[in-house]
Amino acid sequence: MKQFAALLRKDNQPVRYLVVDDSVFARKNLIKMIEMFGGELAGEAGDGLTAIAEYNRIKPDIVLMDITMPQMEGIEAVERIVRQHAEARIVMVSSVGYQENILAALQKGAKHFVQKPVKPEVLYEILRYVLSDDPNATGAPVALAGESRS
Amino acid sequence: MSRQPEDRNNELRALFFESAAELLQSLNEAGLELEARPSDEEVIRRVRRIVHTLKGDSAACGLHKLSELAHELEDVLTPQVTGIHGKEVPEVVLAAADSFDAMLAAYQKNAKLPSMSALHAMIRRLLQAPGAAAGSVPDVAQAPGQFAWTEYEQLMISEAVHRGDPVYNIALRIDPNSLMRAAAFQLIRNVLHGSGTVIALRPEDNVAAATIVVVEAALASPQSEEKLLHRCRIPSIVSEVHIEKITASQMPEHELLGDLLEAQAAKVVADGAQGIESDRAAKRTNAGSAAVAVAESTLRVDAARIDAVMNLVGELIIGKSMLNRTLTEFDKQHARDPVRAKLADAMAFQARILDELHKCVLKIRMVPVEQLFRRFPRIVRDVAKTCGKDVALEISGQNTDLDKGILDALAEPLMHLVRNAVDHGVGSAEERLSAGKPARGTVYLNAYHQGTQVVIEVRDDGRGIDLALVRARAVQKGIVKAEEAQRLSDQDALNLIFESGFSTATEVTEVSGRGIGMDVVRTVMERLKGTIHVGSQKGRGTTFQLRVPLTLASIQTLLFRVGGRLFAVPLSSVVEITRITDHEIHKVDQREVLRLREQILTLVRLNHLSRLRSIDSQPAKKKNFVIVIGAAEKRFGLVVDSLVGEEELVIKALPGEIVSSDLVSGASILGDGTVVLILNVPAILSRLSRATPLGAIA
Repeated sequence: MKQFAALLRKDNQPVRYLVVDDSVFARKNLIKMIEMFGGELAGEAGDGLTAIAEYNRIKPDIVLMDITMPQMEGIEAVERIVRQHAEARIVMVSSVGYQENILAALQKGAKHFVQKPVKPEVLYEILRYVLSDDPNATGAPVALAGESRS
Repeated sequence: MSRQPEDRNNELRALFFESAAELLQSLNEAGLELEARPSDEEVIRRVRRIVHTLKGDSAACGLHKLSELAHELEDVLTPQVTGIHGKEVPEVVLAAADSFDAMLAAYQKNAKLPSMSALHAMIRRLLQAPGAAAGSVPDVAQAPGQFAWTEYEQLMISEAVHRGDPVYNIALRIDPNSLMRAAAFQLIRNVLHGSGTVIALRPEDNVAAATIVVVEAALASPQSEEKLLHRCRIPSIVSEVHIEKITASQMPEHELLGDLLEAQAAKVVADGAQGIESDRAAKRTNAGSAAVAVAESTLRVDAARIDAVMNLVGELIIGKSMLNRTLTEFDKQHARDPVRAKLADAMAFQARILDELHKCVLKIRMVPVEQLFRRFPRIVRDVAKTCGKDVALEISGQNTDLDKGILDALAEPLMHLVRNAVDHGVGSAEERLSAGKPARGTVYLNAYHQGTQVVIEVRDDGRGIDLALVRARAVQKGIVKAEEAQRLSDQDALNLIFESGFSTATEVTEVSGRGIGMDVVRTVMERLKGTIHVGSQKGRGTTFQLRVPLTLASIQTLLFRVGGRLFAVPLSSVVEITRITDHEIHKVDQREVLRLREQILTLVRLNHLSRLRSIDSQPAKKKNFVIVIGAAEKRFGLVVDSLVGEEELVIKALPGEIVSSDLVSGASILGDGTVVLILNVPAILSRLSRATPLGAIA
């Protein structure tokens, strides 16, 4: 298996992840990758509501969020989490067919997206990018003019 | 990812083969375009896109050999390679299209894959040639960064620069492999807005997302160039970043009015240089978004489902005429009943809607003939190349609609006619020049509506058909006797080419002329209830005219009675109707004939022709109607007792065990429940020609 240099926080602690997906298989798959990157699984959720509760409880460094889930969809979960925690780093995980939803999630404040099936090397680069995020960066994500904001 | 059940997989496979066929068609078209304009980067990109899609789709379907080949081909399709080998790349693309086609066919039949070594060699040669690096090379010539800001934006930029804010021109190329360009664009916007103040942005929001290639921005940001570069290198989204800091020296001294004037002047200059280019770009974008819109509103539907709806509409039409008859009866019995008028109104309303519904359903089956015509540029090119000729193809009327089933059935005959036109019709360059024509021959393909029929024409501007040769060949092949051949009119002689076993090509070529052909074309036309007509002028060219009904599901017919029975013939095959008296009928070779305007017409009586035993032979009448029927260049007269009228009939196929006679092609039910038999005109004709020498049926 390919080796990855560990992705660490600025304080050299392992990055803490919250993995949200209604498919147990998909979660296991992502968790395996996280471990390959030297990360720590802080929590899991199978739907949007649980994801919000878990976020509030564990304050993870990164959320990997599926788009389509029961109870509450990924987009709404993103919106609610970002409203409370502007610093949240959420990466959407979705298949190509859900471009509209990804677009919406990005407008709500998701930081990035990765296409299913997730390739470890792609996810690694994306996580590295998202983690390098400068907290001092200004400005909030904007919605495309004319797009619905529902 | 969850496992998929077997039938889902099969469905996917079927979908793949269908879409792959379309991709190959586009690839052929793009390949031809590339041949015409080898340095057009837009065309190269299009070819590359098609190949890329094919690669992805075939990989997803597990057709790895195909996917690998597509991948190799992709490497050739870079401006570097095409720039050096402009002439050879189209050849490789077309050869690859053929190889893909062969591979797909093999996959579909689960057969052994054909060898691709020739194509591999072609591709390798191109890649190894000096100057072309293997693998995909970043597109240097097309480096992003036009930064064509509007005057207002320029003003904003210069204002910010003069204020001392660092302003950067940033261009980001979206990863060519990105499948979610709209999402990618949004993410780029997020990142830009998160890094500073976006003064200007291209494309603007309303651009069709799928066509975004490069995003350009003017960004005022306190961050360092290095840091911005890092932020803009968004993994899996951006493949290339170009950043330049705008310095005060690049900006003229800030003065509002002066700036505006200068910008105006710059615009005038720029318009001259760039106007055309940006115009073209804009058009492309528009065309692109239109195409996207069309694709999204198109559904793929199983043809059987449409046929089922069609069938039901047919039943409804029968139901309508049942109701109409009942209403007529009701009228007679309750002439003063006020309900009568209401019923009539409701009926009229329903009839109108039904009519509309019928038309709509018919339209679903209609497709533009372009679907068929678009194959021909490639075919003409290949055939012309094989024969060493220079032939242009001119297509018109491609928007003419025709039933999909008929269109598919026409593919084969039309292919044959077009090949023939190139191979035999258009003469060699020397021959053409000595006849005072341009060296380049032209084949015309045209389609148009005429009444309830569609006419498709294949015309060439060649030497025309040599009638003497046709006569001689027909005699040699034993189709007609020598003296008969001389008696035939020119048109009849021309029609000999439709006889089986006929071919005028003096040499058998790879392309056409293996002795089969024209008779097959005629057979198909008869099956489609259509006709074929050939016209030729020596030295001027040959025209083949194919006529087919708009649809096979329902036909306009002429109803008539023979011996108390109701029959119908397709109206499209009725040439004329005439009244005759008995003494006008002559007997020749135990066959009744009629002299109609100097033409001899064989007469047919249904009660004689078939063993329709129950038809009582009525006492000979003084006057009879004769329906003159023509199909595929032959004519005969049908003697009938009375004419009933025209009626649109919905054809019901008859199972073989019910009708033993091939003289009837189908049946239909009238509103009063009467069953009508629809005559099979070609079958009657062929029975006639078996019984008589050909000359007599003219």
